[in-house]
Amino acid sequence: MNRTRILAATTAASLALGLAACSSSGDDSGDGGDATLGFYTDKAAWEPSFDDMNKVSEPQGTTLDFTGYSDSTAYDSFIKQSFRTKKVPDLFTWHTGSQLADLVDQGLVAETTDLWTQAEADGLVPEGLKDNYTYDGKQYCVPLNVAYWAMYYNKKVFADNGVEVPTTFDEMMAAAKKLKAAGVTPFHQMNIIFEFAWFQALLTGDAPDVYQGLQTGDSSYLDPKVSEVMDQWKSMIDDGYYNDPGVTTDPQTMLKNGDVAMAYFGTFLTGQLTDVGAKSGEDYGIFPMPSMDPASGNQMVLETGPLCVGKGSENEQAALDYSAWWMSDDAQNAWSSSRGDVSFNPHVKVDDPELQGLLDQVKDGDFTTQQRYLEANPLPVYTLSTEIFGDFVTNAPDPQPGLQRLQDEAEKYWAEQG
Amino acid sequence: MTATAAPPRPPTSTTRPARRARAPYRWSARGFALPAVLIVALLLYLPFVWTSYLSLTEYNGLGDPELVGLAKYQEMFTDAGFLNSLRNTLFWVLGTLVLPVGLGLFIAVLAYGLKGSFWYRLPFLLPYAISGVAVGVIWTFVLQTGGALDEALALLGVTDPPRWLLDSPLNTFVMIGAATWQGAGVNALLFTIGLQSIPKEPLEAARVDGASGWTLFRTMTWPMLTPLTTVVVGLAIVGSLKQFDIIWAMTKGGPGVSSETLALTMYKDTFVENDYGLGAAVAVFLTVVTVAASVLYLRRQLAGTRES
Repeated sequence: MNRTRILAATTAASLALGLAACSSSGDDSGDGGDATLGFYTDKAAWEPSFDDMNKVSEPQGTTLDFTGYSDSTAYDSFIKQSFRTKKVPDLFTWHTGSQLADLVDQGLVAETTDLWTQAEADGLVPEGLKDNYTYDGKQYCVPLNVAYWAMYYNKKVFADNGVEVPTTFDEMMAAAKKLKAAGVTPFHQMNIIFEFAWFQALLTGDAPDVYQGLQTGDSSYLDPKVSEVMDQWKSMIDDGYYNDPGVTTDPQTMLKNGDVAMAYFGTFLTGQLTDVGAKSGEDYGIFPMPSMDPASGNQMVLETGPLCVGKGSENEQAALDYSAWWMSDDAQNAWSSSRGDVSFNPHVKVDDPELQGLLDQVKDGDFTTQQRYLEANPLPVYTLSTEIFGDFVTNAPDPQPGLQRLQDEAEKYWAEQG
Repeated sequence: MTATAAPPRPPTSTTRPARRARAPYRWSARGFALPAVLIVALLLYLPFVWTSYLSLTEYNGLGDPELVGLAKYQEMFTDAGFLNSLRNTLFWVLGTLVLPVGLGLFIAVLAYGLKGSFWYRLPFLLPYAISGVAVGVIWTFVLQTGGALDEALALLGVTDPPRWLLDSPLNTFVMIGAATWQGAGVNALLFTIGLQSIPKEPLEAARVDGASGWTLFRTMTWPMLTPLTTVVVGLAIVGSLKQFDIIWAMTKGGPGVSSETLALTMYKDTFVENDYGLGAAVAVFLTVVTVAASVLYLRRQLAGTRES
């Protein structure tokens, strides 16, 4: 009898747990007003900045109810699952490229063509940014943020070794040689997350048309220019120009400590450098990555992440209004100063002198904007590239077999697209 | 379960009232079991059926899955990454059988019967209380390039140590080492329980006959430990086939896919690459292998026990 009682109690308890789990999944964000938007993001660490933004948007009657994920993969599946329920998110952050294309294909995100037209008329967005958000001539989502990919350098290491900020690729390689001879590791790279960084840095500067062609299937990973870039990269690894990829210390810490002299990163590294106590303009500086082939002209990789409105969400119109406001000078000034990062809005001045210097150079220096490799390429090709480039960073093997595999994957993908 | 446990009835007519009395009990027992059965069906069988269905489809997590027959299985078996994962998983199974199980047995036998043996076993048992992810983080500090192990080796004059977590299959081997550090203690505990349950008399008799040391272990202790060994080895096989957390924390399956196991491939295909069909195919394959290995092994072992 006792055993049956225990069994019954256990069953009841697990049922109760199950019910509790089901009922707790709905968080009631609609507390009477229609201006509290359910907002979801995988940038959990940015919550303080979104709190700051709420202070700015509150007088207009709209605030965000923040839910942050720190695991990007778990977040992506959560968002996908939520579209199968009645609880479609009002506002959420996502990824450009094929990940956004998937949502657009399924009609899950609200169109923002009118918002973009207005923003361009008001000069709130730079030229070319719209391309990241355009599918079949219509726009979806608005930019949450942007990051420029540039070279961060340790000022003290440069000064101690008599190295000037390079303006050409040859100067940069001469600096690397000098630093290496002095026992300093010139460049940072890593074999996870950003393993594509140097492929992107070198190929955009050597053959920007090939770089763009890879994104559309118009050029091949077997192009001689790609091989040239891989050979250059390999020789730099073989010459010991990079840190050991087995070191798991953060790039910001390595740059701050002078374990590496330079690190090619998105401008989000500024925030990470601030977190470890490095001061912009004193401890580190930033310069645009020089083009490997000067004939390619100045190239700047621009990464952007979207802020999207769930189609058919409870507060769809309010979320679209918020998206329009998000691109405004008011919102972007507040965002830039809270994040200490660049804004896509050209009217916004950044407090950080190094970042502002980079922006000025980009504005005046006739740069061509390129999309980041991660978002620009089809997901299956990018995923394979993490394996190929991860291995390349680690072992610097003969690049050809890896390039062949990438090309096979790309051909398979483009064949499926018809 | 309750029905099979009923004792055989004597062949007399007096059993009739007893049968009648048992019937309502059976029904109430089924009633009590029903919620549990439903929960198991809902949480285990239904997802498995759904996963099996997904493995026959092309699906990116959005919209509706599109049936593609066995294409995903074909893709899986011709994928170099999958074959690499299969190899690593095999390393894990073999490694786990040799190291955590073997070492556990070794510790249990050495410590058994010693005064204060609990204290000898305790240090081995403590890591078991740590989560797999934490074990991974600790061992990453030790094994990363320029980490604690490299520093220690440098003191001994080894200036060019192996790249523990970068080179394959070395990275898999050192991670099996980390899993051993965590898992050997609990196996030692289980074997100790097994040793304690062995009747003393046959061992005494063997000793009187002159058996001792290795001979005593090989001919007497080891055979009598079989039921416990079956459980430990069975758990080790299943555990190693679905090994995930330590690898995820230490290398994320990398560099590239060099240290991926089937569990990681399943996760990455599904949630990182958004190829739910392929991920589901790996999941089904992994489930079939795990269940087949467990059933074959346990059936063989338990059949042996019954015969003896």
